[in-house]
Amino acid sequence: MRNPLADVPVPLLDDLIDDEYVRSLVVGVVGTLGVLGLLGLLFPGSVAGDLAGIVFSTGTAASTARLAAPIVLAGLGGIFAEKSGVINIGLEGLLIISAFASVYIASVIGIGNAVLGVPAIWIGFLAGIVASTLLAGVFGVVCIEFKADQIIAGLAVWLIALGLAPFMSTVFFGGVNTPNLGASVGWRYSAVMVLVATVASWWTLNRTAFGKHLQASGENPKALDTVGVSVSRVRYAGVLLSGVLSGVGGSALALSIGQFVGSGETMVQGKGFIAIVAYLFGNYNPLGTLGAGVLFAGLDATQIRLQQLGYAIPDTLVQTIPYVVVIVVLALVGRTRIPAAAGDHYETEE
Amino acid sequence: MTSDIERRRFLKAASAAGLVGLAGCSGGPSDGGSGDDGSSGDGSDDDGSDGSDDGSSGDGSGDVPATVGIVYSDGGLGDNSFNDAAQQGLIQAEEDFGIEYDESQPEGTGEFGDFQQRYASSTDPDYDLVSCIGFNQTDALAENAPQFPDQDFMLVDSVVEEDNVASYVFREHEGSFLMGVLAAHLTETDFSAGAGSTDPDSTNLGFVGGVDSPVIRRFQAGFEAGVDYAADDVDVTTSYVGSYADPSGGQEAALSMYQSGADIVYHASGATGVGVFQAAQEEGRFAFGVDLDQSITEPEFSDVILASMVKRVDTAVYESVSNVIDDDHQGGESIALGLESNGVECVYGDEIGGEVPDDIVTAVSDARDAIIAGDIDVPTEPGDT
Repeated sequence: MRNPLADVPVPLLDDLIDDEYVRSLVVGVVGTLGVLGLLGLLFPGSVAGDLAGIVFSTGTAASTARLAAPIVLAGLGGIFAEKSGVINIGLEGLLIISAFASVYIASVIGIGNAVLGVPAIWIGFLAGIVASTLLAGVFGVVCIEFKADQIIAGLAVWLIALGLAPFMSTVFFGGVNTPNLGASVGWRYSAVMVLVATVASWWTLNRTAFGKHLQASGENPKALDTVGVSVSRVRYAGVLLSGVLSGVGGSALALSIGQFVGSGETMVQGKGFIAIVAYLFGNYNPLGTLGAGVLFAGLDATQIRLQQLGYAIPDTLVQTIPYVVVIVVLALVGRTRIPAAAGDHYETEE
Repeated sequence: MTSDIERRRFLKAASAAGLVGLAGCSGGPSDGGSGDDGSSGDGSDDDGSDGSDDGSSGDGSGDVPATVGIVYSDGGLGDNSFNDAAQQGLIQAEEDFGIEYDESQPEGTGEFGDFQQRYASSTDPDYDLVSCIGFNQTDALAENAPQFPDQDFMLVDSVVEEDNVASYVFREHEGSFLMGVLAAHLTETDFSAGAGSTDPDSTNLGFVGGVDSPVIRRFQAGFEAGVDYAADDVDVTTSYVGSYADPSGGQEAALSMYQSGADIVYHASGATGVGVFQAAQEEGRFAFGVDLDQSITEPEFSDVILASMVKRVDTAVYESVSNVIDDDHQGGESIALGLESNGVECVYGDEIGGEVPDDIVTAVSDARDAIIAGDIDVPTEPGDT
């Protein structure tokens, strides 16, 4: 609330323009796109022309929206946990468990059936959120109540989900991959969820008392304790919220296909770890996280189309483009300040 | 201090539980019917929920003609494709001969060697044959086979030149050639069936591969050669997703192909292919399945799966088991299954395949005859035409 008077007309834009980091990112992205568009117009037959054709197509945009959903949602969850002082690197595990639970419950109820008027696929969606929140709750108890190392506990969350989801699938369906439900949640729903969650997260973090508590819990828990707010409760809330948001992401991912695939890294394919990069990239700002997630997903969508042009570049190299670009951008402009007390346990003094 | 002690105790308990959990995840082959390795994720302990796992529930003694240990490829069971085909071969052998089998689904390439060794070194039961499914197991088996000279192995999709290994390879390029011929003819006609239709104005086709590897490139090469053979001005766009377990990646790759005018997309990408079928349904276009007749194994998508390039992994597994029972293990041999032995086939979709026009069906079967007769030489690497 640096500028309380100015937040009446367009609070969101105003705060953002204040932030030099966000401004340099926006200028960079718009600049790159502009140069690419210009080159594409000038030399339509060249590589730049092909690339511009890909980047400025609606197909790529829709593809980006689909690919970004789980990354952005898990990233937003990660912000809440880490702002409160609990580093949650188990986001990948939360995505996996919710992806499986959503498909499992939807198939138990049976597509076409409804419970209390809610179609099975949406019950499955909710079940995914519940499963992810429960696992996040266990993680919270281990880290906050029993003061376990957050990094190790986070890894455990990932490994448990990575083993448990394919195992349960084997028990219930006879293989690590579930059969297809034959129904799916359209990507427009998840795109709307992403936008709503981003704006709501931004509002919660910057405009509510709870947001201030979260920040204090991560920066200076003693100050929060001194004014009579329980640090543990704030941290539990942060961790549970990371479970809820990751659950939305995992359910959206699995139900967009209508199936859980559990072999290898499972169908989540490391999106939870990309989510961590996304929120660090966005410096704990939900809008920045949205931008970072969209950047990565956009590059991924571009990469898929680039392969199809048939240049004499090995496909495996083209597949690494999103990762390479994100690392380069992170190295050049990344400016992340981790909350001062993140990773530390807080012992309340009576 | 009490809280500190409590914390330590908790951490100890938690780490012990974690270790047990991990041991369960990477659990090795379970031993025959004893079932004391109850937490392993290898599908043989799942109380027979789908009726296909009862093979390991009997006692490994008496009149069982053979006991087989099978290590699946990293796509896992339930891919409705490659691994499930291998399992069908075992189930068939179980019905016909009464064999027993144990299954393992490794999580990644690093575990293949482990599972192979555990089956090979097990004495209770003493496995008569260890089946290794998939190209990725080649290196691990090349290392393990000489260490267990008395153990019979069979390998699908690759060749290991050892006296105790029977290698089964498929001429996927030949089957894929037929898919190319079929696709090229269809994209040039105005055709609709089930939930899909072709656009006669646009003559584009797509190929989605799983991991860029020699096996998958054989599919691509054959498909492209078949398209070239049947039509002059039909383009094939190709994309590799980089995983056999990434349906959302497969969906994006296929959607971009359909949106740029592809009428039919052929996939060779295991469970990633579900995304391709999903995309076909969304766009009202067609897709070709792979390994099994996917219009039957993926019934939700039978209205867009026009045909499948069936690869008889089940035949390879079944034959190798039957050879072992007859004491005639083809160790050191490399058996290539192509069109003439129906090791690879173009199988029309269960629901809509019958609507393919007769002249196109004839063209495909003519191409098949020409390949068997040796009149057409199908390349194994893309761009070799």
